[in-house]
Amino acid sequence: MIQTSYPENRRNTLGGTMTTLKFLRKIFPVVALLLAGCASEVTRQSTTLSPVAPSPARQYLVQQSVLVRFDSGYDRTIQAGTTFLEIGALKQGKVLKPTNAVFTIEGAHVHEAYPVVNENRIVGFYLPVEQAFAQLSNPVTLSIEEKGIQK
Amino acid sequence: MKMLRLWFLAGLVALLSACASGPKMMEVKSSIPPLKSNEGRIYFYRVASMVGAAIQPSISLNGTVVGESKPGGFFFVDRAPGSIEVVTATEVERKLTFTLAASETRYVRTTTSFGVVVGRVQAGLVDRAEAEKELEETSYTGVPLGK
Repeated sequence: MIQTSYPENRRNTLGGTMTTLKFLRKIFPVVALLLAGCASEVTRQSTTLSPVAPSPARQYLVQQSVLVRFDSGYDRTIQAGTTFLEIGALKQGKVLKPTNAVFTIEGAHVHEAYPVVNENRIVGFYLPVEQAFAQLSNPVTLSIEEKGIQK
Repeated sequence: MKMLRLWFLAGLVALLSACASGPKMMEVKSSIPPLKSNEGRIYFYRVASMVGAAIQPSISLNGTVVGESKPGGFFFVDRAPGSIEVVTATEVERKLTFTLAASETRYVRTTTSFGVVVGRVQAGLVDRAEAEKELEETSYTGVPLGK
C-alpha cells in the first residue's frame, strides 16, 4: 500500500503544533502590550548642563520630521515646525529645549527630555529633572535651521 | 432573563457613574483664577472613554495626592517652579517627570492601558494646542472655584 498522507499520530502532532502556533500568533499583541508595561528603566548617566552664558539663546526650527527610536523599544517623532531654544551644552553636544511642543522619552517611567545635538545629529537626550544624559544607540540626523537669537 | 437585564442595567449604571460629572471647561473657564507670576500651573485631565473607566487611581504630585484620574474629568494645581514628579499607581507605579517654570502652564493627560490583572493608568505630557482642544470636552472635578 502506498502511503499518501502522514500517519494519524504524526498528523495529530503537526496539527497540535499548528494550533499552538496560531494561538501564539493571536495572543502576541496582548503579550507585547503586557511586556511593554514591564519596560526597563531608561539607561542614563548623570551629567551637568553648562547653561548658555550669558543669554540670549539661539533659536532653531525643525525643517523635516524625524523618527527617533529608543533602546527601550519606544519611538517618538520630532515634527517639522518644532522650534527649539539652545539652553546649554553637555560634553556630548548642545541641548535644545522645545518651545512649541513637549518631548518625552519612555522606559519604565516617562521623562521630559531635550534633544542633545552634535553636528546636526541627535546623539541623545538631556533629562532636566534627573539631570542626566540618555545616549541614543543610533543617532539620527536632525534637519534644523537657525532662526536667530531669542529677544 | 429578568436577572440578566438587571445585571446589564447595573453594569451600565456603574460605567456611567464612573465618568466625571461636573461643569464643562467652557462653563468654568471664567472662574479659573489667573496664575500668580511666581507659580506654574499643571492641568490634569483624562479623555472620556468607557475603556478602563472603572479604574480611577489617585494622582500624586511630588508625593502628595492632588486628585483622581477620572474619565472625562480635569483639574489643575498651582505650584512653585521646579522639578515635578507625577505618579499614578494601579498594579504598577508609573512616574512622569518634567520641569515647571514660573508663569508656565503644563498639561498632563492620563490614559489607560492593558495590565496583567487590571488596567493601568499612566500620565503623559501633552502639547498646549492638543490639550486645550481635549480639555474643552472634559468636566471640572477639582475643588470648588470661586465666582
